[in-house]
Amino acid sequence: MDRVDRLYCFLRERLGLDDLQRLASKKRIPIHGSTHFYYFGGMALFLFMIQIVTGILLSLYYKPSPDQAFESVEAIVTEVDFGWLIRSAHSWSANLLIGVLFLHLLTTYLMRAYRRPREITWVTGVMLLGLFMAFGFSGYLLPWNELAFFATRVGTAIVGIVPVIGPQLLLLARGGEEVTGDTLARFYSLHVVVLPLLTFTLLGAHLFLVQKHGMSVPGREAGVHDDRAGSPSMPFVPDFLLRDMVGWYLALALLAALSALFPWELGTKADPFSSAPEGIQPEWYFLFMFQTLKLIPAYIGPFNGEVIGVLFFGMCGLVVLLTPFLDGGRNSRAVLNVLAAIAVAFFIVMTAWGWFSKADQQLWRIVLGALLTTIALFLLVPSTNPKTGARQMLYGFMALAVVVLLAAACWEVLA
Amino acid sequence: MTSLPKHSVARVLVLLALGHAWSAPPSCGQPAAEQIGVLPDDYSCIVCHLKGGTLWTETTPIVDEQALAGDVHWQKGLRCHDCHGGSPTLDAFKNHRDDPTFHSLRPRDKIPGFCGRCHSNIDYMRQYNPSARTDQEQEYWTSGHGRRLKASSEGENPQIDMAVATCVDCHGHHGILAVNDSNSPVYVKHVAETCARCHSDAKLMAGRTYHDRPLGHDQFDQWKLSVHGRAMLEKDDLSAATCNNCHGNHGALPPGVNSVANACGACHGKIAKLFAETQMKHKFEDSGLPGCVTCHGKHDISQPSDEMLGITDGTVCARCHNPGNPQYGATVAGADVARKMRSGLDQLKHEIELAETNMREAERLGMQVRGPRFDLRQAFDALTNARTLVHSFSPGPIEAALGEGLKVTSEVNGAAKGALREYTIRRIWLACSLVPILIVVGLLLYCIRSLPTPTHSG
Repeated sequence: MDRVDRLYCFLRERLGLDDLQRLASKKRIPIHGSTHFYYFGGMALFLFMIQIVTGILLSLYYKPSPDQAFESVEAIVTEVDFGWLIRSAHSWSANLLIGVLFLHLLTTYLMRAYRRPREITWVTGVMLLGLFMAFGFSGYLLPWNELAFFATRVGTAIVGIVPVIGPQLLLLARGGEEVTGDTLARFYSLHVVVLPLLTFTLLGAHLFLVQKHGMSVPGREAGVHDDRAGSPSMPFVPDFLLRDMVGWYLALALLAALSALFPWELGTKADPFSSAPEGIQPEWYFLFMFQTLKLIPAYIGPFNGEVIGVLFFGMCGLVVLLTPFLDGGRNSRAVLNVLAAIAVAFFIVMTAWGWFSKADQQLWRIVLGALLTTIALFLLVPSTNPKTGARQMLYGFMALAVVVLLAAACWEVLA
Repeated sequence: MTSLPKHSVARVLVLLALGHAWSAPPSCGQPAAEQIGVLPDDYSCIVCHLKGGTLWTETTPIVDEQALAGDVHWQKGLRCHDCHGGSPTLDAFKNHRDDPTFHSLRPRDKIPGFCGRCHSNIDYMRQYNPSARTDQEQEYWTSGHGRRLKASSEGENPQIDMAVATCVDCHGHHGILAVNDSNSPVYVKHVAETCARCHSDAKLMAGRTYHDRPLGHDQFDQWKLSVHGRAMLEKDDLSAATCNNCHGNHGALPPGVNSVANACGACHGKIAKLFAETQMKHKFEDSGLPGCVTCHGKHDISQPSDEMLGITDGTVCARCHNPGNPQYGATVAGADVARKMRSGLDQLKHEIELAETNMREAERLGMQVRGPRFDLRQAFDALTNARTLVHSFSPGPIEAALGEGLKVTSEVNGAAKGALREYTIRRIWLACSLVPILIVVGLLLYCIRSLPTPTHSG
């Protein structure tokens, strides 16, 4: 017995590796037309790990004060070895992570994987999405650049619109009446302490529940077979794990390409006393809300338009969170499907509208985004049953994405 | 006199007029608050010179009450009789013509002395302003205006009339505002307009000469379009030169031919100093050329540009240093210096532009070049310095300044190119990193294919 074997025996006895091995060998992944939807969860987990690693590295040099924040980030991207890569990877992977989580949510909904007994798994997943969006919002301010400063001012002002508790929430978010160094300090604390703790807790619960209940099989797929035990499946180790790793490596390649070819901009240092520059916008995943609130009139009847907008998005979030409990049968499911289709279309249209209104050199991102969306939707086509409405819905989304793509391209050419 | 309006509100603002003359300066009189707002009931001036006064007629000069209320003298507590003399009380009132203490402003040559009674008296003026000037009247008599007025009044030259500016023509009479009041006609931004009231009047200026040269009437129109006029009127730059900066205030007179550089040097000190140390200055003086004006013009001074320098067509140097037709003894060596200076400036500008282009490209690609961009300011400073040193007409200092600028642009260019190289390296690095990633993906796919086909569980 060589040293490695002795070490393995040592660890096996103390860590209970046999149990883990048994669990891994027992875990199986169902095989059906939508199996590749399962990869989004693993890919999100992989991108989250990249976030942790790059975030820790950035925190070695970052200084969370208004006087030093911008300069420290500037030093990271200009002076620290590979600092530009770490910062770019952190920013790009954050955006990819949110994108992957949106897809994970959508595909989970399409597979109706939230059905009994996985309601809590869905709820924890939606809450995790909310946490990662909060990560994005709090992290956006940290470089203390002009765009982030004024976008945070607008974003936190929206929080203040919430009825009854809005003013208190605003004070809590900003640490005062205005966005100041206090805001930066609490956003930093939120970003590196509070949110990670909550995320680890929820993520642990989410993964535990996934292991506990196993992978959900779409209803129509399960119906094809007489019983669950008889449906085709593959072992998690190594079959699914290897496939998952392909996705991880492809995500890594995409991340490396984006980080190297399109380094994340730093902009100019925030000046609280200057007037807000034109084209202030939040990150793309908040854009649909931002654009909607911009379009809502000041008053709708006797009610404040912004308050109605905030309440509307609050209600939407609640519906998404409680989807498993709202899906009570064929009729309610049909209503949910229509609402989901409208929500996705609304998200795409409003996001594109937000980008169009910016009308600067970033337009290519719309073209790129629409192109990627079209490709992603095209890849989803084989996994849907041609006889169901899901295929038609997919075609509808694809048509919408193509329209956005063509419109953006025309705008670029004509402008 | 008992019918005088005793409680008229207008009394608060009243008058000015002609009263008792007094030979000594008026008493400072403690400008008591009660005097500012209310005139005594028996104040004599209001009887005639306030519209609606008891003895007021259509032909009596009246005072603009609103203007008078804002008058700096009135606000300091001075009243009609303090300037015009005469008796302020009805009991002692005498007709102005019969009152030896009444101080008349007619004829016009009495006006400077009228104002000078106080403004030339330091003991009196320091009560209001410890650092007040008291040489205005003295200066005035040395000005072109004062000299003409004196010559006219003394009958030295019957062709000279008395229609020249005196104190009241610029400062106003009733309603005189402090010089730093933005509504004053002599506030720095209004000086040119005030001078133009006479000097842009073609009829008034017709036939008037200075040193046998016509005065002209287009100076204000030229100044408005000049670099100084635009700075003053369009950019609100109150430090820009206006009439009095070159011609003087109360002693207004065109600067002499050999004094032009000193006049310009009041603001452009460094350039004037450089010019004063050159041989060019003496050559200009010997040739009767008016210094700075020779190249830059007078009232129509335009924004200086590098295109003025050199010996090509359109340059100011070529006017004299024309190899084919030199003027005023200009030399070929001077032409070479001009050519070198222009060439050096053009080179530095080109290098700055190149550095800018490279930095913009690096920024477009997302590279950070804030440090080099900050450093590039030194190159701009060096360019400005070199442009200033052109007035030394000596290649040495200019080359030194240009050398500093070129050194900076070289470093900035290096940094910008370094950023562009770094960008290229990143792409190469990316390509290299993709290779192992894709190899691993290939291996994973190979492993997946080599696995047994998944079957039903169980």
